[in-house]
Amino acid sequence: MKKKLWDPVFGGIVIGISIILTFYVAGRGLGASGALTAFAATIQNIVSPSVTQSSQYFSKYFANGANPLDDYLVYLVIGVMIGSFIAGMVSKDMKLEVLKGPNISSKGRLWYALAGGILVGYAARMARGCTSGQALVGGAELSVGAWAFMFSIFAGGFAVAYFIRRQWI
Amino acid sequence: MIGPLVKNGIISDGVNTLFAVLIGMLFGYALQRSGFTNSKKIAGAFYMKDVDVPVVMFTAIITASIGLWGLSLLGLIDLGKFYFLPSYLLPMVVGGLIFGVGMAMGGFCPGTSIAAMVTGKIDAMVFVGGFLLGSLLFGDLYPLWDKFYNSGANGVWRIDQLLNVNVGLAILLVTLLAVFGSLGMRKLQYKFWGKND
Repeated sequence: MKKKLWDPVFGGIVIGISIILTFYVAGRGLGASGALTAFAATIQNIVSPSVTQSSQYFSKYFANGANPLDDYLVYLVIGVMIGSFIAGMVSKDMKLEVLKGPNISSKGRLWYALAGGILVGYAARMARGCTSGQALVGGAELSVGAWAFMFSIFAGGFAVAYFIRRQWI
Repeated sequence: MIGPLVKNGIISDGVNTLFAVLIGMLFGYALQRSGFTNSKKIAGAFYMKDVDVPVVMFTAIITASIGLWGLSLLGLIDLGKFYFLPSYLLPMVVGGLIFGVGMAMGGFCPGTSIAAMVTGKIDAMVFVGGFLLGSLLFGDLYPLWDKFYNSGANGVWRIDQLLNVNVGLAILLVTLLAVFGSLGMRKLQYKFWGKND
């Protein structure tokens, strides 16, 4: 039996406290997308260094022998994986599965997941961050751009929700 | 001990890295216990079927905002040593719209997909694969959107500056928006869908 979820207000307070802690200790916010992009750039640099070196965007990741994986956000994301794994174990929610609505096949759901991942990967770079690093941290900093980003996320999601409802409801 | 600890020389870079892992663990634990490793729950926000995602987001933002401001009023942190995120209004709006479409389709955002991947959610693993491709697409074809990406650089631009009010009042306004936004969305959820699954 899975354990009951936290109350969302309690969950929000704990996440808010983790943001306060990164500022108190490191003087900066947290984030998730930066680590994933660093990982993508590193793989590409191994598979095809010439593409990475000729990329105006990624070449600076490796300038002067820098290692993009030696980054604050990468260590933070390693922690996220450990923390979520522990939470999954203690709450007995640890199972290989595809979550989806009743009206779509698992294969169909995975195509949506891939397409959604590509769009989010692109958009997180365009917006200089994601829901955590830009919307939550920027939102707490009262950043105008971050609040505009957050409302745009909900606008984009609501706009497309009807057309993909087969996947979820 | 006045923060930020590492910038004030109170802790070393190595200890800061250790704290990064520990804080990440707290964040990951909270994401999983809030149900954010479940793509159905996240996508439910876009149908007003389960509004926990925006409620958690609003709560996290005002907790952090009030906490940081309060700690600085108490003299426990030095805001001058913070890294503040710059605003690029138009790229952030366009990025947000695409992000929202992708989040409704994929059922995850980056942090939640990482948290879900390690608890065995196969859709999250595929989403992460897509994310890696999408960010490579952005970076490798960067000259195509270079100009747009750097357009409208507004620097550090805060709501208190936009409204020309003091920081305390801006935080109060944001808090009211978060509280009434959360209550309003919950009301809509109960009206159309009832309680969470």
